[in-house]
Amino acid sequence: MADLKIEGLVRRFGTVRAVDDVSIHVADGEFVTLLGPSGCGKSTTLAAVAGLDRPDGGRITVGGKTYFDSARGIYLPPESRGCGLVFQSYALWPHMTVADNVAFPLTLRKVKTADRKRRIAEVLALVEMEPYADRYPHMLSGGQQQRVALARTLVYQPSILLLDEPLSNLDAKLRDRARAWLAELRTRLGLTTIYVTHDQIEALSLSDRIVVMSAGRIAQLGSPQDIYERPADPFVADFIGTTNFLPAKVAALTGGVATLELADGQRVEVTADRPPVAGSRVTLAFRPEQMRAATAGEASGAEGSVIATRVLSRSYIGGRWQVALDLADAPIRLETEVPPTGDELHLWLPRAGCILFAGASNGAA
Amino acid sequence: MSTTTDVGAAIAPRRFRREIPIQYGMAALVVVLVAAPLLPILYQSILDGALYDSSARLTLGNFARLAETAGFGGVLWNTFLLALLSTVVAQLFGTAAAILFGRTDIPGARTLGELFLWPMYLSALVLSFGWYSIYGPAGYVTVFWQSMFGEAPWSLYSIGGMAMIAGVSQAPLAYLYCLSSAGMTDPTLEEAARVAGAGTFRTMWRITLPLMMPAIAYSAVLNFTIGLELLSVPLIFGEPAGITVLTTFLYNISAASPRPDHGLVATAAALMLVVIVFLVWLQSRLLGNTRRFVTLGGKATRPRPFRLGALRWPLFAICAVYILLSGVAPIGMLVLRAFTSFLSPMVPLADVLTLENFEMLWREPVYARSITNSFIVSLFGAALATVLIGMVALIVHRSEFRFRGLVHYAALFPRAIPGVVAGIGFFYAFALVPGLGGIRNSIWILVIAFTMRFIPTGLGAVAPMLLQVSPDLDRAARVQGADWWTTTRRIMTPLMRPALVACYTVLFISFFKEYSTAIFLFAPGSEVVGTALLQAWIQGEVGVVAGLATIQVFVIAVCITTARAIFGVRLHG
Repeated sequence: MADLKIEGLVRRFGTVRAVDDVSIHVADGEFVTLLGPSGCGKSTTLAAVAGLDRPDGGRITVGGKTYFDSARGIYLPPESRGCGLVFQSYALWPHMTVADNVAFPLTLRKVKTADRKRRIAEVLALVEMEPYADRYPHMLSGGQQQRVALARTLVYQPSILLLDEPLSNLDAKLRDRARAWLAELRTRLGLTTIYVTHDQIEALSLSDRIVVMSAGRIAQLGSPQDIYERPADPFVADFIGTTNFLPAKVAALTGGVATLELADGQRVEVTADRPPVAGSRVTLAFRPEQMRAATAGEASGAEGSVIATRVLSRSYIGGRWQVALDLADAPIRLETEVPPTGDELHLWLPRAGCILFAGASNGAA
Repeated sequence: MSTTTDVGAAIAPRRFRREIPIQYGMAALVVVLVAAPLLPILYQSILDGALYDSSARLTLGNFARLAETAGFGGVLWNTFLLALLSTVVAQLFGTAAAILFGRTDIPGARTLGELFLWPMYLSALVLSFGWYSIYGPAGYVTVFWQSMFGEAPWSLYSIGGMAMIAGVSQAPLAYLYCLSSAGMTDPTLEEAARVAGAGTFRTMWRITLPLMMPAIAYSAVLNFTIGLELLSVPLIFGEPAGITVLTTFLYNISAASPRPDHGLVATAAALMLVVIVFLVWLQSRLLGNTRRFVTLGGKATRPRPFRLGALRWPLFAICAVYILLSGVAPIGMLVLRAFTSFLSPMVPLADVLTLENFEMLWREPVYARSITNSFIVSLFGAALATVLIGMVALIVHRSEFRFRGLVHYAALFPRAIPGVVAGIGFFYAFALVPGLGGIRNSIWILVIAFTMRFIPTGLGAVAPMLLQVSPDLDRAARVQGADWWTTTRRIMTPLMRPALVACYTVLFISFFKEYSTAIFLFAPGSEVVGTALLQAWIQGEVGVVAGLATIQVFVIAVCITTARAIFGVRLHG
């Protein structure tokens, strides 16, 4: 086991910088997720660590061993790195049985037959696939194939474990179960792990730390709580969970409380971690679960503010209603158990917990 | 996992990386193989004496002499005309067949389509003999026609007649390209026209056919190229009538000449090479595609067929007659001729049935040897070539080899080398390099030349299947510690097995019917069926020709049937 250091990694495809000066330090035994939309550079970063793609610049070291260093012209071929990589497609060799697939990396390391058999049995037991040792991959379900792929990687005790969207080919129900299983396995093994996904639930529930990537750069690096509760910019706020954005102007600043004036003149009071400049344009961001429909006759107070919105549409999504609201042309999404009756709905927003970003933004930037 | 002994995740990097000598070795082999026939030709074309004559000096005089050669302008014109006409014939029949068999509810479309492809599997040489036995001066149909209506209005010994045979043998190519284009076209485009109120034939004319235009244009350039390279048809029908084209011109002044003028031969070959290289470049511009030989691929989805209505059966009859007259009857007659001593509509068949022709093949060492040689060349040569092509495909598509782009280019370059030029070029190459005399007079020179010729064909069979194997499968092996060579042997080779079987089949057939390269390279003792056919033809041994042709047809038919039945190989798109 080892720590992983990525320093100033750059990968260009033509004029596009797919990975643009990325530096990450993953501690020994840490589980770090690279999260981002497709094309953000997360898979390219993973491929660079595994040695499947040669970067244009930077340095990658694992446990003191240099995998890649553009300055010194070092580039280890993948077979000399000792990484474990589980592919999105699982990449089980169709012409070999489960046992043969798992045996392959051991044969390469010239492990003696008796020892090999024991290790195969152990690792298959670990992933609960022992009864399937003699099956061929096409006879297994997606979830089973995923376990075999993991077993094939764990069997040679890689220095770091790389997981490339391992759950994305499973259907929704199976994915939930596989995720819980993976979380349990991860605590048991304690391997240094890089996990690539575009699924925020997987990222939040599995990781020690999350690296949110966008357009080849790191948008934010932090714990799941950091990322969710204190997003660094509108992109992160929008990408992780659902976020509503309201453009506003700072009307007044008293103590830690900012009074914001929304586009249609309504006022909202929030406490801000990073106090904005009075009179500047800001964007107020808040999660759907932070707000609720105001009770009849409720007014703004010290706990929160009440604002009036227009109801655009409502749809039943099973157990709850999803309501699309409009506040001076800014869309707001609300989930509620009681559907609004009229064309207008009063929303209650808490004073604490909302986030302010400088400048006007709708999260797409 | 703490209970297990640590095996050490990383394998110590090898000081010596095995893939380096393998990849460089294969790259060098391919480059040498492709350059071997080309460089001597280019060199000889600027020498005033023979290549092996040390007193020869550099000159540009050969180009002037070629231009001044009597009748050379006519040769170029004939070449162009024959290629053009055969292309027109091939495109007409091929496109019509693609629409009828691929897009309409014509009865028996599958069977008709299969039969339509048959000329592609046979060599144009054999098809020519077949046509001769039916439409030649003493052919079955000709004699029959004469007895009924007087003089027959056709002659195979003309540009038109030759274009007809060449066109029929090339029509399958146009058919396959148009068919695969039709298969990949969005069927809703046609349905939209139907819904908008267009009838069957208007939709075909305004939608289906225009959508096929890229395929028609591409296969037209392809067929034009093949028309320029064609040797057999003009050799059999053009020469007796005094119609010379570039290939027969080359044949006459080299292989058939007692004292060849090497400067002139090389210059004419170089000229041909330049033209074909240009046309092949044009093909790649047209399609951005490296497939010169349709071998494998295509999609199974078929849009809703057009309804022909009342024309269904009349069109079926026309197609059936075409297939009967163009392929089935000539080949059938050739086979029948092989089992008879004489064939004429005037003589009852029972009186002339005999196995004498085959006894002759058995008795005469030249013919017996040619058959054995053909089998050796095809069985072993194709196996060697398959190994080479499999390696090339893996290096090009599945390695980080620095020069893989160059290897790919070199491996595909033989598309631009006509068989005639390859034959002359290898002849020079072996004359030039001392110590290769042993190979020059054996069948191994044929194996080498055929291998070079058909690398692109083999790659065409392997590459599409290889590209379907997920790159993750070999990446997984690499990450787990296998180097490139271990991955190639343990993972890729087993996964490529169907592709290699298809490649071997295609190469076996190609090697078995190849003649144009061989007639410049064979020596007494290294005859193959193709060269023996031509020799027997020149000596007027019609029975022997029919016998050898029958054997060739039979072997190829068995090969195709076996490959399909046992391995499920699809030999075309």
